[in-house]
Amino acid sequence: MRTTYLQSQKDRGRRVLAVLPIYFPRPLLTALDVVAAELWGPPGPPRGPAAARVQTYVCAVARNALAFLSSGGADVADGVLFPHTCDSIQGLATIAKDLGGWKKRSFTLLHPKGPSRQSARTYLLAELRGLARELGEWTGRSLEPKRLSEAIELHAEIDSLRAELLTRRARLALSDRALYQLLRRGEFLWPEDHLAELRDARKSLNGQKVQTGVPLMATGYVPEPGSLFEVLEQAGAFIAADDYAAIGRRLPTREVVRHSDPFETLVDGWFALPPCPTRSADHASRLDHLERLLERSGARGVLIHQQKFCEPELFDVPAIRKMLTERKTPLLYLEGELERELSGQAVTRIEAFAEMLSTQGRAA
Amino acid sequence: MIARRLQYELMSHALGPAMVAYQTWSDERRRSRRAAKESPFGPQLECTRKLKELMTRHYLAGRYADGAVPVAWVTSGFPVEFLRALGFFCVYPENHAALCSVQRKSAELSEVVEKEGYSRDLCSYARSDIGCALSLKTPVGRLPKPDLLACCTNICQTVLYWYRALAEHFRVPLVLLDTPFVYGSASPHQIQYVRDQLGEAVETAERISGRKLSGERMQRTAELALEGANLWGQCLEQGRHSPSPWTGFDGFFHMAPIVSLRGSEETNDYYRLLLAELQDRVSRGISGIREERHRLVWDNLPVWFKVRDISTSLAQRGFNLVCTSYTNAWAEAGKRMDPQDPLGSAARVYTHIILNQDLNNRMEVLRRLATEYRADGAILHSDRSCKPYSMGQVDLREKLASELGIKVLLLEADHADPRAYSSEQGETRLAAFMESFA
Repeated sequence: MRTTYLQSQKDRGRRVLAVLPIYFPRPLLTALDVVAAELWGPPGPPRGPAAARVQTYVCAVARNALAFLSSGGADVADGVLFPHTCDSIQGLATIAKDLGGWKKRSFTLLHPKGPSRQSARTYLLAELRGLARELGEWTGRSLEPKRLSEAIELHAEIDSLRAELLTRRARLALSDRALYQLLRRGEFLWPEDHLAELRDARKSLNGQKVQTGVPLMATGYVPEPGSLFEVLEQAGAFIAADDYAAIGRRLPTREVVRHSDPFETLVDGWFALPPCPTRSADHASRLDHLERLLERSGARGVLIHQQKFCEPELFDVPAIRKMLTERKTPLLYLEGELERELSGQAVTRIEAFAEMLSTQGRAA
Repeated sequence: MIARRLQYELMSHALGPAMVAYQTWSDERRRSRRAAKESPFGPQLECTRKLKELMTRHYLAGRYADGAVPVAWVTSGFPVEFLRALGFFCVYPENHAALCSVQRKSAELSEVVEKEGYSRDLCSYARSDIGCALSLKTPVGRLPKPDLLACCTNICQTVLYWYRALAEHFRVPLVLLDTPFVYGSASPHQIQYVRDQLGEAVETAERISGRKLSGERMQRTAELALEGANLWGQCLEQGRHSPSPWTGFDGFFHMAPIVSLRGSEETNDYYRLLLAELQDRVSRGISGIREERHRLVWDNLPVWFKVRDISTSLAQRGFNLVCTSYTNAWAEAGKRMDPQDPLGSAARVYTHIILNQDLNNRMEVLRRLATEYRADGAILHSDRSCKPYSMGQVDLREKLASELGIKVLLLEADHADPRAYSSEQGETRLAAFMESFA
């Protein structure tokens, strides 16, 4: 389905760029008529001759992506963009480019780590301009500031709608599965198509609460497998607050300052994103953000949903655990390797967790 | 403060050296009374005693450094020169973690942090050091509490998360030097970014030390660091002789001063001694192992807790590790250092560390090492704890074997955690690799 859709975009004269997780300047791509097709794995065991080219102690996102790219799975794409997310994606970028696996054009975005300091802002500005230049040459299109500004506004509207659906989750008459499917379609749809779907979904927002299950907060890398949401629903719980790197952490937490130079606006947008370990947020701001999400959503428990071997995320787990323990907020730690389905053991643990929370809720 | 400073000076310059000298003398006496064992190695390097003295003095002084002088904990790839010029006592958690592993303490320290919720899949150096910070257990007696944490991402991004955890624990500032990964060559704006951050880091370090960075002292430290890197490079180059006067395993230990004490007179004095001894051994035909029949390249960090076993297995069959990409990294970096522009050149030097460059560069380094050192085999340590060094090795193995016609082994292990290594499997693979040369 994704491939057919992307091919149809190519037929309309657009270029398709496969993009590795997590952060990249979407408006820049839109302004250059480039469709981003994000590559989070894909789920399942790595297949094809390149499946063993990356050691098994490296995260499944990088392992699967190399196998997928090498086996022609992403051949509909005209190029690939590797953001500088972690050591594994950085390593994947040089393996695929230098040692074989991807023959078409590849781009990198070496975004800065750490807080919003002057050196990082200046550098990011130069890095974004450099990427724009390279993409412009590749597409044969010149980037007009006006088009970039329009694309920034288009994506701001998309982000605002996505944020609204997530923050008013309890009033949204959609299942978690349907909501996350919708949000994740944004990973490959042309922004205007995604916007239309989001506007449509917004009509399902009610004046009052329609979700009656136990509200949970989820934090982690990527919500895979999708069947997780069905298990939660059957167990009587729903995701009321989202801190997945693939979803909630890509929505700005404040109004982005509009500058006359749209690249400056992109830079400000970058630093308006929620704290994320892959951008090296400090613990204090991360925990503060998570606590705000908990309070705003009324979540009664937290699902820490990690990918095995994901160092940036795993290093934050002890601090998150400590914060939740101090707040007396129950948590469930779930670790996976991009499996297609949850294991029976994981299902049982989720069911027990939801049951425990709903019993606590009744007792209270 | 004054009493603490006096204690520190006394320990650094008088009592400490005297204690170390006594320890060395008593070790020597014990050793001389023991009957010599049959060994597959050549005579031990005389400098090993000096190395032990130097590092013991360093850790001994460290016990009294906090409260006496500013203390920084730094990553091995951090441009330490300006910290030294500002009078910081620098502790290298990576070096300390290696020491913990050699002394079989890593598993115990890891368990401390695993109880706190840290995953066993995280870097074993990080687990050992955070474990040490939490439990205060260390084989060096005591590590000084840091006033500053200084972290550079040129070796990996793991250090960033690791140092952030330390910063939370010690409640001290963390200086981050974010070095963009180099694909081909670094662009001017990337180097400028690193240079700008260095400026920010200097400001923080000046505030903490209460001193202004003197241009003259900075230049002198950069000169010493450059000289140290060159001397270290010359020591490594002695391995090009056949037989090699030492082994790559010796190099893993003798690299400690260039990592932990670079930019100091004592480090350069030490490497002058080591170089002289190696040159002397070359002139007298003394080999690192008794009978050198095959010469190997090693890629990645050592398996610290198994160095003895692996080196003995290899030496018994006539295999000498004549060079390693890891020890070579500290010689390579020095070439770009310019004492006339210490911060500007530091930005270039520290951005171009082997682990911060693409796999084409890594392949080129391995190809050059294998050729210049006339290696007929290579061992690529697939290090569970070091993903940036290990990713790509599956392909590098194929390329090295096909392009250079050498035999290559991919050895699965870990740099510090013995629980992540299967001895039987490792030994079997090593034995099969050596048999393939017959």
